[in-house]
Amino acid sequence: MSTEAPATLAAWLRTRSDEQLSALLAARPDVARPAPSDVVALASRLAVPVSVDRALDELDAATLQVLDVVLLAPTDGVAPDELIAALPEVADDVLVATIDTLTTRALLWGDDVLHAPDPVRRSVRHPAGLGRRALDLRLHLPADLPAVLGELAPDELAVLERLAGDRPVGHLPDVPGNGASSPARRLLQRGLLARIDALNVELPREIGVLLRGSSPYGPPRTRPEPAVTAREPKVVDRQAAGGALEVVGRIGELLTLLEEEPAGLLRSGGVGVRDQKRVAKALKVSEPDAAWLLELAFAGGLLDVGGPHRDEWLPTRAYDVWREQDLADRWAVLVAGWLDGVRLPSLVGVRDVAGKSANALSPDLVRHTAPAIRRSALAVLAELPAGSGLAPDDLTALLRWRTPRRADRLAPVPDMLAEAARLGVLVNGALSTGGRGLLTSGEDGAADGMRGLLPAPVDHVLAQPDLSLIAPGPLVAELSDTLSVVADVESSGGATVFRVSEASVRRALDVGWSASDLHDFFAKASRTPVPQALDYLVDDVARQHGRLRVGSIESYVRSDDHGLLSQVLSDRRTAAAELRRLAPGVLVSGLGADEVLTVLRDAGYAPAGENPGGAVLTRPPARARAAGRRTGAEPSPAGRRPSDDELAAVVREVRAGDAALAARRGEAVRQVPGVTTASTLELLSRALREGVPVWLGYVDAQGSGSQRVVQPVSLVGGFLQGYDEGRGENRTFAVHRITSVALVEPDDAQARPGTA
Amino acid sequence: MSDGPLIVQSDKTLLLEVDHPLARECRASIAPFAELERSPEHVHTYRVTPLALWNARAAGHDAEQVVDALVRFSRYPVPHALLVDIADTMDRYGRLTLANNPIHGLVLTSTDRAVLEEVVRSKKVAPMLGARIDGDSVVVHPSERGRLKQALLKIGWPAEDLAGYVDGQAHPIFLDQEDWTLRDYQQQAVDGFWAGGSGVVVLPCGAGKTLVGAAAMAEAKATTLILVTNTVSGRQWKRELIARTTLTEEEIGEYSGERKEIRPVTIATYQVITTRRKGEYRHLDLFDAQDWGLIVYDEVHLLPAPIFRLTADLQSRRRLGLTATLVREDGREDDVFSLIGPKRYDAPWKDIEAQGYIAPAECVEVRVALDDEERMTYAVAEPEERYRIAATAHSKLPVIRRVLERHPEEQKLVIGAYLDQLEELGAALDAPVIQGSTTNKERERLFDAFRSGEIKTLVVSKVANFSIDLPEAAVAVQVSGTFGSRQEEAQRLGRVLRPKADGRQAHFYTVVSRDTLDSEYAAHRQRFLAEQGYAYTIVDAADLAGPGEVNGPDWVDEPAD
Repeated sequence: MSTEAPATLAAWLRTRSDEQLSALLAARPDVARPAPSDVVALASRLAVPVSVDRALDELDAATLQVLDVVLLAPTDGVAPDELIAALPEVADDVLVATIDTLTTRALLWGDDVLHAPDPVRRSVRHPAGLGRRALDLRLHLPADLPAVLGELAPDELAVLERLAGDRPVGHLPDVPGNGASSPARRLLQRGLLARIDALNVELPREIGVLLRGSSPYGPPRTRPEPAVTAREPKVVDRQAAGGALEVVGRIGELLTLLEEEPAGLLRSGGVGVRDQKRVAKALKVSEPDAAWLLELAFAGGLLDVGGPHRDEWLPTRAYDVWREQDLADRWAVLVAGWLDGVRLPSLVGVRDVAGKSANALSPDLVRHTAPAIRRSALAVLAELPAGSGLAPDDLTALLRWRTPRRADRLAPVPDMLAEAARLGVLVNGALSTGGRGLLTSGEDGAADGMRGLLPAPVDHVLAQPDLSLIAPGPLVAELSDTLSVVADVESSGGATVFRVSEASVRRALDVGWSASDLHDFFAKASRTPVPQALDYLVDDVARQHGRLRVGSIESYVRSDDHGLLSQVLSDRRTAAAELRRLAPGVLVSGLGADEVLTVLRDAGYAPAGENPGGAVLTRPPARARAAGRRTGAEPSPAGRRPSDDELAAVVREVRAGDAALAARRGEAVRQVPGVTTASTLELLSRALREGVPVWLGYVDAQGSGSQRVVQPVSLVGGFLQGYDEGRGENRTFAVHRITSVALVEPDDAQARPGTA
Repeated sequence: MSDGPLIVQSDKTLLLEVDHPLARECRASIAPFAELERSPEHVHTYRVTPLALWNARAAGHDAEQVVDALVRFSRYPVPHALLVDIADTMDRYGRLTLANNPIHGLVLTSTDRAVLEEVVRSKKVAPMLGARIDGDSVVVHPSERGRLKQALLKIGWPAEDLAGYVDGQAHPIFLDQEDWTLRDYQQQAVDGFWAGGSGVVVLPCGAGKTLVGAAAMAEAKATTLILVTNTVSGRQWKRELIARTTLTEEEIGEYSGERKEIRPVTIATYQVITTRRKGEYRHLDLFDAQDWGLIVYDEVHLLPAPIFRLTADLQSRRRLGLTATLVREDGREDDVFSLIGPKRYDAPWKDIEAQGYIAPAECVEVRVALDDEERMTYAVAEPEERYRIAATAHSKLPVIRRVLERHPEEQKLVIGAYLDQLEELGAALDAPVIQGSTTNKERERLFDAFRSGEIKTLVVSKVANFSIDLPEAAVAVQVSGTFGSRQEEAQRLGRVLRPKADGRQAHFYTVVSRDTLDSEYAAHRQRFLAEQGYAYTIVDAADLAGPGEVNGPDWVDEPAD
């Protein structure tokens, strides 16, 4: 650890300051938990392919291009100056910042010379969209490559140029008959393309670079600057409020509907097509819209599986709270649920590869990346000033630039944006104030942003002579409940149109309203005079109603012996049974059968219980509710970002472990047999690349240890093949049996450990 | 939050609060693209349908105006998605145009190649198209012009027809406005129609649709074919044309079951045209008998399906549809749109009533309690017999008589659907009965007598549902009907809506049996009338005040009686 440049990632990490290590851990939080014991452990964590992939996935196209330059350099290690010179079109300060980004994340290491760790090399399959070297493809390119290319037929050159673009791998065209006729096959025969499997060919890097001419790393990948549409933020908010009003109203209707008649749970999970159709018909929306509403209600925690057999989709208890909230809060619950929901509602009805289409609320729609994608898409918009927005295509292009390695995940973005627009989070590609609040401060922020834009609930209706009642705005919950009994909803939206019909009046009478209750209710609820027709309707139905009487009793006592019944009725000892005569031969009681039986037995009678047989009506049970999920953020797949204190603690721990390690012998890389550390592999592959011999500590299959100097030839599948100089033989070493490894200095004939 | 008069609903209905200060202005802005669906007392309902939006486009309105009207007058924020949907729908109109090409003849052209590709690939449309001329246009066989428009509308890409019209054989026709003038709205209707070339004029019963037809003929000055619902209505047209235009009796032909005259102006009934013998329409030649310059369809909402098929072949003639309502109970509004043309003029009933051109009407439902015997008969009757038993109950007779006695000086119509009942009423009330089997000659004699006041009361069957003209009927009493059909109700109400000489109020009574199917159907009727904005009162037969009595609904009108 002198002025000499550090030889390994671990050594370099050791030279980093505490702040720099903290920054590394903050940028790659997955390596910080649990805290690595020392720098070597940290380095090996950083080398885990999953961690590398994740770190690379978060880089934008410009940063990846800088990394490409290092990966494509003929030597291991590029000086920062060279790097800057390699991309002349990009401003220097941008490049310096980019290099800093990469070194902070330890995706490049070294100070004077930037190295790319091997896992990074492996993770970037086609740096700068170029193929592997001809050597690696086992291809012998002609010596005078430019001349050979100059002689190619135009169609052949076109194939090469296409492969020299973003993707060096291409599909062989399926040509019937003589395959040799296709240009790609001719190129294969000439040895200008390498076949990598039965179908695909790869363009060797050398040809790609040659064809690209002066910019071997492709055109500079600067941030796209899409056209921003700016509108009056107030207009945006107003339109967003329109969407919000609509969606809150719809969800309310949906849940009222499911409260009356729950949707069945399919064995495969989800809601059946028949229920979806029923919902669509009742709400007068299209079937895809019905699915969307079901998904949204679920995402908001208002709908879940419940019922006595857990086989029904029911409103949850949260729904009871939700419907009492004011509109802005109701909206906030829905959008917050949507933002962090791990399901993709847009996939409902989409057929999978097997041709099976997905049902609404089916478990097949879960995509754990969904919340991250939604947030990243909205985050781009949140950077724009209020009222400004991007067209969906431009937004997708920008996201693709930001995370090019995740471009394949961006497929649902257009649908997500459409959903956001329906929710009133977006209007014409611009975030509404509510949407912005949602992104920055969650549910509360969303509610605050929308408050004041949504109409205050009204507490009256307008009764009309055609027997319609019009609620000129969202109704207070209590009135809405009552109206849902005495009238049917005919259309909804900004207002609600109810229609009073014979059936609805009968329904009200059935649940215990009297004709005069109804008259009073209409007179009180209506701001316009109650039309004569409405009063007539109520009276007409009421006159017909109740000519058949149905009562509710708990138990009955019957006997063919009318005298006996009279005796029971007049017996003072049976007063506790609260019996009364309903008809000759039948006494009834409001008490349960068992209680009546007890009273009668105590009084000396000999009654027998009777099977209900449908005669006993019990009080209907309370409305069923699903338990619902606990509301609270879904654990983010990327994990919580550790706080500064936590990071500092981790750094301290690493330093302490490292100090202990340094107190031991200055061996280069040691390992416990059976555990392959990334550092071992890194040193070995570096030796292989640079053609320098390595010093190995090795334990063979019999358990005897040895030390050798080996000239490595290949490192494949966990085995190192090389020439053992001391023993003068070619040998294969199992990597997991290598106990320690060090580079042999080129000028040093004696095998000795390199400086760590 | 603005405080507009309009509330936009999710199902694209618009609720307009009529008492709002901006209501009138708002109605004027939304009328072009929204159909008035209901107009009860406080809140009117308009519906925005694709057809209505395309009608608006055809009339020269663009999406921006529509969206602006909605946003400006809406009380609550309008969901952006709904506005986008409206704009998209409107945008579909006019992407395709039908036009005459000097070389290729009739050509379907598109400004959007993708649309044309979609259309050309459609299974329904492809057979009507000929050779592709270039990327944007394709030849259409002239005989497929109508059917193509129909098919295009069905797949949601309505074509704008710019192919123009043949002038037809010229024939001088002038309005003879010596003792009358065309009303403003009639003139506007004619202008709207003529500017658009073809289309439908919607005016309430009694608002003078015949005159709009006559004025359109005077505009065209060409031979004209007029299609009417029945012979009586045809004669009515003839009479009006002779009185109001320079046409003479000799120039007007009647083409009906009785007579087959083809003259410069020919009036034909739907029935004769759709008569088939051995499975063939035998009177199709009528359409080719003259080089017609104008075809008028009276009561377009009743146009039978075969005539739609024939109309498809007449796309190069000017077509004028006249109707009181675009609502067709068979739901074929889109065929009217594509084959006859878009709506060119529309005026709400109440507006015309307010201008004094149609009489204000009061609707009264009189409830009759059945006697015990009738109730029992009703209770045990077969379901299909029930309505007849309830509607024709004898208990109605004294009530009907009492209703008629309330208006001794008025011309009264008793309208029913069951012939037995009508015969019985005729005998009991000592009034002549007109029904389907009454000869045209007899009908006209009775109508003339009624018109002149010789006969005060007429009992009529369903024939009253169609265009007979009884200018002085001021009271209508309906005793039975066809299951509360809205169309029938509109027609029957139309009988009494014609303006009275002294501006008196019209009365429209419905006598129903309480607690039976009859009163259930009455509920449909009541809803329809209330939706049209008519005052509707329900009275028990026992409470029916006689003429001159306090609280008799007529006592303000005729205190001297």
